[in-house]
Amino acid sequence: MNIRRTFVKSARASLALLLTAVIVSGGSTAALAADYVPISGAGSSWSANAIDQWRRNVKQYGMSVNYASTGSVDGRNQFKGGTVDYGVSETPYGLTDNGVVDALPTRPFVYIPIVAGGTAFMYNLTSGGNRITNLRLSGDVVTKMFTGVITKWNDALIAADNPGLTLPDRAVVPVVRSDGSGSTAQFTLWMATKYNSLWESYCDKVGRNECGQTSFFPTSSGMVAQPNSQGVSGYVAQTANEGTITYVEYSYALKTGFPVAKVLNDANYYVEPTASNVAVGLLGAVINQDETSSMYLTQELSGVYNSKDPRAYPLSSYSYMIAPTTEQASFTATKGATLSAFANYFLCEGQQQAEVLGYSPLPVNLVKVGLEQVTKIPGADTATINIAQCNNPTFSSSGENTLAKNAPMPDPCDQKGVEQCTEGTGGASTTSTGGTTGTVTTAGALGETTAGALGGTMGTGPTQCDVDTGICSSVKAVPVATTSTGWAATNWVILSVIVILVLVVVVPPVMVTYAARKVRSS
Amino acid sequence: MLTDTPRQLTVIRDRSDKVFRGVIRAGGSTVLVIMVLVGSFLAFRASQALNKAGWSFFTEQAWEPDAGKFGIAAVIVGTILIATVAIVVTLPLSLGTALFITEYAPRKLRSFLVSIVDLMAAIPSVVFGLWGFFFLQQSIVPVSRWISQYFGWIPGLGVTGVDPTDPLATTTVYTSSTFIAGIVVGIMVTPIVTSIMREVFSQTPVGEREGALALGATRWAMIRNVVLPFGQGGIIGGTMLGLGRALGETIAVYMIISPVFFIQPNILQNGASSVAALIALRYGESTEMGLSALMAAGLALFTMTLIVNFGASIVVSRSRSGAAS
Repeated sequence: MNIRRTFVKSARASLALLLTAVIVSGGSTAALAADYVPISGAGSSWSANAIDQWRRNVKQYGMSVNYASTGSVDGRNQFKGGTVDYGVSETPYGLTDNGVVDALPTRPFVYIPIVAGGTAFMYNLTSGGNRITNLRLSGDVVTKMFTGVITKWNDALIAADNPGLTLPDRAVVPVVRSDGSGSTAQFTLWMATKYNSLWESYCDKVGRNECGQTSFFPTSSGMVAQPNSQGVSGYVAQTANEGTITYVEYSYALKTGFPVAKVLNDANYYVEPTASNVAVGLLGAVINQDETSSMYLTQELSGVYNSKDPRAYPLSSYSYMIAPTTEQASFTATKGATLSAFANYFLCEGQQQAEVLGYSPLPVNLVKVGLEQVTKIPGADTATINIAQCNNPTFSSSGENTLAKNAPMPDPCDQKGVEQCTEGTGGASTTSTGGTTGTVTTAGALGETTAGALGGTMGTGPTQCDVDTGICSSVKAVPVATTSTGWAATNWVILSVIVILVLVVVVPPVMVTYAARKVRSS
Repeated sequence: MLTDTPRQLTVIRDRSDKVFRGVIRAGGSTVLVIMVLVGSFLAFRASQALNKAGWSFFTEQAWEPDAGKFGIAAVIVGTILIATVAIVVTLPLSLGTALFITEYAPRKLRSFLVSIVDLMAAIPSVVFGLWGFFFLQQSIVPVSRWISQYFGWIPGLGVTGVDPTDPLATTTVYTSSTFIAGIVVGIMVTPIVTSIMREVFSQTPVGEREGALALGATRWAMIRNVVLPFGQGGIIGGTMLGLGRALGETIAVYMIISPVFFIQPNILQNGASSVAALIALRYGESTEMGLSALMAAGLALFTMTLIVNFGASIVVSRSRSGAAS
């Protein structure tokens, strides 16, 4: 059974090689492809952009993987109830949230790390008619904005972080998640750890005592609550909703073409949640290594929050798949085979795309233990994967995290107290915001205009795509800079389909009346 | 004296009659049985929460079942407000469309328009939700602001916490509101209301129409004096049926509103609530108690919808146009 090796190889190979491989192992590939059965999962919308891309990629192997990004809490509950084959969550079972203990499911399971990423602060702000794309925020300012202490954008505290910006006298509108969410859990854990008194006094004020880490953001007046990452990012990305700021995975900012705030780390640098900064930050994460524990492989992040590396993004974290280890509740070995093949795919090859999508690839140690966990899934293929061939950008022969090691040092202008850099961030990286004058030298505000015109449904993708040519070519399905090219052939196809559909409904009754009249008159 | 006793009439039905009656009876009673089962299932599952909350279930505005503090005061009021806005939008729209189709549209165009309206009914509600969230919301905000600026003195149309004269004032207070959700739901229920009204209007007796025209009435006078009085039951019944749907509309409302758990009387202001959207939002992530509380909220909505629909059918059956149907 060297099928997996075949497809690992073939994906990396050139077209000619791929053809040969298919011809050589043609029979067995077809046999296995036929063995795949559809599997379904639900959970985190934080990781949804990565999972959706991977799902599309494995279609070519005949795998049909379904995923509903309904929020981490829903994912955990659905897995517990046995309605899905796998769940995806940022937080593990067993935590106490708002006085309720989230009990472990009765079906045995393992956590498999899937991807790393940064919870970013995406915002929509203009000054004098020009979009601000280089906002910087320190941790306590972010906490104060989301707890109702800072209510105006021209607050002295925000201005202190942004000496180069003229900030408008607009209300700060925090946009939070209305559903139970892993993003909220990550964000509130960070606030509860670093700025405990600010966070808990807010919780008291809105009538919840002892919030700590919670998946349900306690709202107060002046806030907007929306379901799902898609909902909060879509809300912020509506041109008219100026003054809004939300916490969402970096990929959503790239997708909608909006900037994210650079967050101050403990080394006094403002950093953006790029793949390498997240990788550096997560060097500080402590992974539970106790194989007997129900929390095996889960993360402890205070080392990330307090990292002294000037490149570390403080709100970095991992996301996990929850996979069953026994055949139970409609989960069969055949489903297990599909799930494990999918997991092997994203742990190995899938990680190459993490950066382009707005996530950060898993380091080698987590890929290794992740692959070990996959073998516990019933029906899993036991053939070992040569992880050196995965082309994961974090791998190196010495075992060091290459991505973190080679991460560029922040610009001197990103240091605290220094007048800030003018380059844009996130999905608006091509739009720079000018210095002291606050004017914008628009270098093709592509993301901005598209997002505005389309109401924020889609925007231009990350432009760093071009840097890694090899990787980029494989993610054409992501809306990367293709949306602005105008009216393409596919649009004509869609239009004609719509027209035909309307005609099918409308023409028959008209024809009938016409025919009937003809009969009557003759 | 001999008294006449009425002759005993015996009805002998042949087999096809019996089979037909049996099938019809079975169908009718199945519907009732299902309704009763749904109701009792909800009541059973809700009992845990209702026991805990007691009468405060009807007066409490917060929704924190795990803390033992929950009630439907805010969500039911929110549901009714959204449905009211929806009906205010849909009534003139449907009435106008139905009258145009039956009375004014050229015969050639009529079947085309009917198909278009029916096609609208086939659009999934999530599409309406996406449209409302990504397109309508930002287009309607200036309208909301205008209304609140000039008619804010009318209770319910004001918006707090914003100064309309400040150009930098945030427009987000006008988003995710009862008003926007209501408009979207109103547009969603328009097709079904329209087709009921159209059906009833087209049944207006031709003799009466021609009589009115023969007496020299204009077309509008004929509509006012013949079609509308005849179709009164259809107008009310169709609207109530639309109201029933509006009360239960879930996903479009879920996508648009920013849920709040206090009574929000200002329909133009950010923050709204609805029972169905609350259930959709919390169903997947609730504890046992939370689920029971959601079932209780569902039961309240179920009862309310039943009352509305019964009311509609009574009105329809009492009217001239409905008596025959």
